[in-house]
Amino acid sequence: MFDFFIHVASIACLYGVLALSLNLQAGFTGLVNFGLIALFGCGTYGAALASGMGWHPLLGLPAGIAMAALLGLFYARLGRKLSSDYWGIATLSIAEIIRISITNEQALTGGAQGISGLPLLFAGLKPYDGMARLALYVVVLALVWLFCQRLVKSAFGLSMKLMREEPQLARSLGYDLDRIRRVVMLVSSAIAAFAGFLYAHYLTFVGPDQLVSPETFLIWSMVIIGGVANNRGVIAGAFLMQFAMAYVPFIKDALELPTDFVAAARLIIVGGGLLAFLLWRPKGLFPEKVGGSNGR
Amino acid sequence: MKTTALAAAFAALFGGLVGVTPAIAEDITIGAVIPLSGASATTGKDQSRGIELAVKQVNANGGVLGKQLKVIVEDSGGKPQTAIDAAKKLVSVDKVPIVIGEYSSGNTIPLGQYLVQEGMPHINPASTSGLVRDIGATSYSVVGLDNVSTEFAAQDVLDHGWKKVAVLAMNNAFGQGVAEEFKKHFTAKGGEVATTVMYTIGQSTYRRELQQVEAAEPDAYVFTAYGTEGALIMQEAFELGMQEGKPWYSILITMMNKDTPAEFKKGLIGMDVGYIGEGGDTYKTEYETAYGETFLSAYGGYAHDAVLFSAAALNKAGSTDKAAVLKAIEDLGKEGVKGATGDITLDADGQRTHQPYLKFKVEGEKLVAYE
Amino acid sequence: MFQFIFDALIRSVDLALIAVALSAVYSLIKFPNVALVQYAVVGAFVAMSLHTAGLPLLLAGLLSAFFVGLLAVVFNILVFERLLKVDSAIALIGSLALSMILSAVFLLTYGPTAYRFKLEVTPAMRVLGARITDHQITTLIVTAISLGLFALILFRTSLGREMRATATNGVLAAATGIDTRRVTNVVVFLSGMLAALGGITLAMRGSVSIDLGTNMLLPVFAAAILGGLGNALGAVVGAIVIAAAETVVTNTNVGPLVGEDLYFLPASYAPVASFAILVIFLLFRPRGLFVSEVSRV
Repeated sequence: MFDFFIHVASIACLYGVLALSLNLQAGFTGLVNFGLIALFGCGTYGAALASGMGWHPLLGLPAGIAMAALLGLFYARLGRKLSSDYWGIATLSIAEIIRISITNEQALTGGAQGISGLPLLFAGLKPYDGMARLALYVVVLALVWLFCQRLVKSAFGLSMKLMREEPQLARSLGYDLDRIRRVVMLVSSAIAAFAGFLYAHYLTFVGPDQLVSPETFLIWSMVIIGGVANNRGVIAGAFLMQFAMAYVPFIKDALELPTDFVAAARLIIVGGGLLAFLLWRPKGLFPEKVGGSNGR
Repeated sequence: MKTTALAAAFAALFGGLVGVTPAIAEDITIGAVIPLSGASATTGKDQSRGIELAVKQVNANGGVLGKQLKVIVEDSGGKPQTAIDAAKKLVSVDKVPIVIGEYSSGNTIPLGQYLVQEGMPHINPASTSGLVRDIGATSYSVVGLDNVSTEFAAQDVLDHGWKKVAVLAMNNAFGQGVAEEFKKHFTAKGGEVATTVMYTIGQSTYRRELQQVEAAEPDAYVFTAYGTEGALIMQEAFELGMQEGKPWYSILITMMNKDTPAEFKKGLIGMDVGYIGEGGDTYKTEYETAYGETFLSAYGGYAHDAVLFSAAALNKAGSTDKAAVLKAIEDLGKEGVKGATGDITLDADGQRTHQPYLKFKVEGEKLVAYE
Repeated sequence: MFQFIFDALIRSVDLALIAVALSAVYSLIKFPNVALVQYAVVGAFVAMSLHTAGLPLLLAGLLSAFFVGLLAVVFNILVFERLLKVDSAIALIGSLALSMILSAVFLLTYGPTAYRFKLEVTPAMRVLGARITDHQITTLIVTAISLGLFALILFRTSLGREMRATATNGVLAAATGIDTRRVTNVVVFLSGMLAALGGITLAMRGSVSIDLGTNMLLPVFAAAILGGLGNALGAVVGAIVIAAAETVVTNTNVGPLVGEDLYFLPASYAPVASFAILVIFLLFRPRGLFVSEVSRV
């Protein structure tokens, strides 16, 4: 059971990184991105590419980040003219286009089959590899969190929040909104791709089913439930949601419910959790800290 | 104040979850990952039944290592991701010494590769793609791979006098393998494959794909499809009038026969692995007595035999130690294990050496084998 | 050639009813309600259950549409009115959450397998070289009648006038004494009915499963946005354009380009055509083909 706990905690750390990425976009800058999972996918397929081409596995990371950066910039470009809800739909559409293309292009991406047999990270450390990986992911999560905190507490962070709250005012003060958007997308895409790369080498398998839109919505639920624009909050949200989702099968076993219960319960946890928080506690469990001791 | 309360709640939750341990087992457990939901749920049901009957048989004959055998069956959901998650649970929580699974090559291959990385013995009870051969050192199959099945199918199609065909298959490892191998054998024997259309599984309609194969104007349509997908494809082909005057041939026909209503499969013929082999009659009678109907697919017997093989390996190894079990499997592969599907021997790659196939035709709801 | 036109027409009919519902209600509630496609699935499931229980198909369909209309109003009052007070993006996320909950309900009540109406399945007839099934004809008729009635209400009744007034300028409409909340809920009710009918006709010709809604989401959005959100009947044109694009993508023989006699793009690329059109329109002409009631995108 302890091994399973390590497994769930590891995945939760990776989701935490993704939640931080989305938080930068949606929480701090007001960019309603529904195509986040495609950025994650750039990371996973970057790893797959390295494996397929016979490169050293670590080369998959820059490959994935490069692809994600391009995609992120494309999203940003779209955002110039569109208001937030339309941009959300546009990013969702693009993520779906990418997923469908991957599913059909067998030669390039392994198609619906995906690419399996990726090298498992720290495989040489068995039987302690699980704990080693968890340790690494915790360190990565902490580093990304530190980075995000520094970013949002800096002057640039202030401009992000201004763009979210009063875009007209920001423009009138001379802020280049397009540049802010581009930078935020680049940074958060790189973070998302990093999470994808680590995930690919954890699961040893990369497939288009990992990129379906419910995955993006899951990450959204982590941000909204955890606390919009509160980095610690979204990490808490990630852990809460991931543990809830992972332990559903055990509840099913304990209460002897049919197999469909698992999928339905997960949908209700994400959808119901999202809706409940949106209606009654839209700021999330850990609301954004406005103001604060250093006068920002 | 609120934060500390919440933090305390989290800590309690995590602590409680970590503390939950499974009851100490008096049984020997092995794991199985089977599609209990999704398009292949009917075949998955058939496989679970084969497993149940095998467990009864093993326990009636003294069990495994002096204890009762128990098989923990997890649902793969018909997807590679869920299959691997299920395997992770079996390996890390239930700590089984052998994992049997899955059904579709598209899921068996990632599952098998994960298990091989863990050094875990893996037994494939149903997947027939040639790629299964390369899964890895600790992966074995009790069903024969389909380089041979497609040759059988190609010959059967030609024997019926159809020289120009259109092929329709799902785009995963299994379907790709079938399409490629069939084309290779069919053209080598003098036939022509006018077009190959690969479809993505899980769609709500296949009209477009059907129209694409129709445009090829073949003598016959050759296809392969899982359970409920096959039913939908057959129904839509019927609605499009594509079954009038043009024969349809199903590779691995028992995958989709049970789910397809009679009116949509009139005149359908095909082939599949044999349901049972020599010595399988007892299995057949037991199955029909226990479940009140005949086999749902051809694959229950192979799942049954996977369990028999695993039990024999554990007994031979004398323990649940992975290295011992692997050696036992290798030895048994040379000696042979008698199962419901005949005598199972494994070649140097751990794949089954002899695989019987049968030709089938549809009569009403059922499939009838013919020569 | 006629088969191609007919295929595109049938596909557009798949989308048209729901796209019109989306467009009509958007101008009043000012956010894209993603849950609408799930309303269509509710309609299909409820109609199917009623039909299996013994009701004639027509009655089952109408009752189901009525029920879904009411359901849409209930959700609007309980959920969306509150969320819209915060921000339209929040309402969008809320509608996504509602879709997930509805999916879960379907999963628990009906399971993951696909269901079919217990209807006669007959092979297609041949008309002018194209194949047409009678269910497809029924669908065309139902769609034409529903859209016709809707247009009638919109343009010939005082209620319709109020609807258009509220859509164009809600504040001004309220100032003239129109009860905008009531009008909004009437439109929500009607759009729920249209969505349900769309779902039922789709299910009649294929099957209904929990994935039906999610698969339809983006094509329906593409059609509505193309036609100009808020321009309810423009959505019909949008649906036709999307359907034509999808049909072209999958029925064109690109064999000569790749050196084979016969080669088609995999049919599952069809949605890519509609999403690509959607993105292109959002980039370059977010107002849609026609003048839309919506001033901001």
